[in-house]
Amino acid sequence: MSTSSVSEWITRQREQRTLQDWIQDLGPFVMLFGLIVVFTLTTDQFMSEGNLLDNIAKNAVTLLLVALAGTFPILQQSIDLSVESIVLLTGVVTVVAIAELGLGLLAIPIAIAVGMLAGLFNGLVFTKLKIPSFLVTLGTLSVMAGVGKIITGGSTITFRNNAIRAISNGEVFGIPNLVLWGLLIYIGTIILAFRTKFGRYCFALGESERVVELAGAEVDRYKIYPFVLSGLLCGIAGVLLTLRISSASPNIGSGLLLPSIAAIVMGGTALTGGVGGPHRTILGVLVIAVLNNGMNLLAVGSFVQEIILGLVVVAAVALSIDRDKIDVVK
Amino acid sequence: MSSETHAGTTDAVADSAPEQTSSFRVEDISKSFRHVQALDGVSLEVNRGEVIGLVGENGAGKSTLLNILTGVLQADDGQLYVDGEQVTFTNPREAADYGVSLVHQEQDVITTLRGYENLYLGRELEQLGVLEKETMRKNAQEFVDDLGINIDVNDYVRDYTFNERQMLEIAKAFHVSQKSDNPVILLDEPTAGLEESGRELLFDLVNDLRDRATFVFVSHELDEVLEISDRIYVLKDGEQVGMTHVEDATTDSLQQAMVGRETADEYYRVPDQRREDQLGDAAMDVDDIAHKDIVGPVSFSLREGEIFGIVGVEGSGKQRFGRLLAGDLETTSGSLTVKGTDLTNPSVSDVVDAGVGYIPKDRKSEGLLLYQSVLVNTSLAMIRDMNENMPHLDLDVEQEETERAIEELSIKTPGPNALVHGLSGGNQQKVVIARWLAQDTPILVMDNVTRGIDVGAKEEVYRLCRELTDRGVSIVFIGDELPEVIGMSNRIGVMVKGQFIAEPFDASTGNKPTEEELIQEMI
Repeated sequence: MSTSSVSEWITRQREQRTLQDWIQDLGPFVMLFGLIVVFTLTTDQFMSEGNLLDNIAKNAVTLLLVALAGTFPILQQSIDLSVESIVLLTGVVTVVAIAELGLGLLAIPIAIAVGMLAGLFNGLVFTKLKIPSFLVTLGTLSVMAGVGKIITGGSTITFRNNAIRAISNGEVFGIPNLVLWGLLIYIGTIILAFRTKFGRYCFALGESERVVELAGAEVDRYKIYPFVLSGLLCGIAGVLLTLRISSASPNIGSGLLLPSIAAIVMGGTALTGGVGGPHRTILGVLVIAVLNNGMNLLAVGSFVQEIILGLVVVAAVALSIDRDKIDVVK
Repeated sequence: MSSETHAGTTDAVADSAPEQTSSFRVEDISKSFRHVQALDGVSLEVNRGEVIGLVGENGAGKSTLLNILTGVLQADDGQLYVDGEQVTFTNPREAADYGVSLVHQEQDVITTLRGYENLYLGRELEQLGVLEKETMRKNAQEFVDDLGINIDVNDYVRDYTFNERQMLEIAKAFHVSQKSDNPVILLDEPTAGLEESGRELLFDLVNDLRDRATFVFVSHELDEVLEISDRIYVLKDGEQVGMTHVEDATTDSLQQAMVGRETADEYYRVPDQRREDQLGDAAMDVDDIAHKDIVGPVSFSLREGEIFGIVGVEGSGKQRFGRLLAGDLETTSGSLTVKGTDLTNPSVSDVVDAGVGYIPKDRKSEGLLLYQSVLVNTSLAMIRDMNENMPHLDLDVEQEETERAIEELSIKTPGPNALVHGLSGGNQQKVVIARWLAQDTPILVMDNVTRGIDVGAKEEVYRLCRELTDRGVSIVFIGDELPEVIGMSNRIGVMVKGQFIAEPFDASTGNKPTEEELIQEMI
């Protein structure tokens, strides 16, 4: 190709965005918008401020944090299945530290540290013992839930401390603190993903560990970090969740794992790693939150809701997945 | 499949004497992808018993053509004729039914299956749903024996050598096309990854099978094409720009046709090579380093601005030695001194910190993140020390360095944010090189740096190597292509069983050793 045709070639490359590319990028937006239109037309309450903020936004925050937590391990082509157990464990630790140990605000850093340690444990077993992360975290999913439940003694523990509760329950200019925390952390994860070496290596490792290794990076270290971050974010989720309801039951957090993975994938982060990112995960979270809320408003039975949610997830993934990048569908 | 399919296998292929009838004809084939015209009115004709060479730069349309001939892709326009009959293939199986099959560049065998299971893959013989293993095994062995291929089909393919796997693939191509009495076997870059001995074996086989099949031989290695082919077609930018009989062709004439410009006699830019008195101090001292008793002990001193070539046959350890220098293999004894830093059993990170960049042989699996951008790939090594070990990135610096690399290496890309996957092989390899240039790495260890890239890109890589050495960069140049190593290097170490056989050859301008001299030491 002569030099004169290079610019033509470049133009051609730029034009090569197909319908498929647009669907991949816009699919979650379209789905979210579609759901909003449908529920606005079919229900009276959907568009009310109370419903949007108190029901959808507040409920979505826990799922958002857990989904953001899960995004990073998936970006680097591993997975953290223990997220909901870390929420349980750290939630229980928060309440026990406040109610039984009287530690007050100190409970928060302690609980978050417990979350990070749990994540560090996952990461160390994964990298040092070279066990696939889905097996490691499948194990710790059970272990950490067990530990948390033992601490509760099998019953719900509660605390009374309105000052601490306000961290989660208060509001600023009419916006619930919970929602603000969620947004703050959301922005934080985007910065981590796109402005730090950590984020860059997540994407790179998601595509090829070997290439990253030969480029001289300390691969093991960067493979552990996403799990520690996951523990940290789940810890924050555990804290905010228990502060909001000022109690911790032996089954808080349960049922978060599947919707969180669904949200991540729907947002556009492929389970095969390397593409997507936390900025997109929020779309999947909102789709699930709106869908849940709308179906509740329409008084759809909870069993039927499960079926619909599952179908929506499959449909969203089918629309958005880039099959060119997957050698074998497993 | 039913058990009839194998009835009368071997006699079907063995009969016909070679006669000069056109067994396969392609007329005015065109194909475009989105806005790119990949093929534009390509015609070619293959006669019975011929070996046809098909050459062209990367992106010239060779792969697209092969895919159309085997039914993987469908042409927008044009016709295919087999034995005068017009055909359309909608999938590889239909093509195989007419005798047209492809031996892939990347070996397409399943290593966890046995040889005969691969041969019958997808077309297993069965009776009432039960596999007829014994029959398949027996038939398969007879089939490969009959072709003159020396493999045991009962062995697992994972135990086959690289060569044997390829032989199995060729057998498979014959096997799937046995309905035809004159199969057309398309060989896509069959010598990529083969060492000298394997290449000879392959060529012998092709020559032996000439009267039973027609071959289309696609390769970057023009001397190989010249050696094996009767006639050679040249593709350039999707068009067929020439057909020559082998006796009228030379490497130069082919290159000229492919690239469309005069190729310099100074292909390797030998006159630009640095003279001994232009070389600097020692950049790297390799002192008896070894990996167990597999590689080494090896000693040599690499000077600033020097290109040190390493050659050796397959299994000589030259590739492992490259990995050893890169910190990718454990150094069990000896030491490495890079720019004054002593390294004892270093990790890849240590070696990179000391200033050595490794360019692996297999750029797709070890060199590049194909679905990440040119920028991400270029800055992958550089970001380690960015901002003095602070965790954040400096996107502006990355952008600048990437743009500089694109400019300097003339990487043909829509921009820094384009995915590497969409670039041609040569431009991909330039991105791997750019990664080390972006952080001014003073020593590069290149393992077959021009493997699988087209002539034009090769020339650019050679030019780049010369420019780098002018700046004082030193290069360890490991290669399978002897003319290239000879042309590029200041000195050449010949590796046998993990060690240098003698003092390195002097390869300064005017004193280049011949291929024969090197081969004598290699074997």
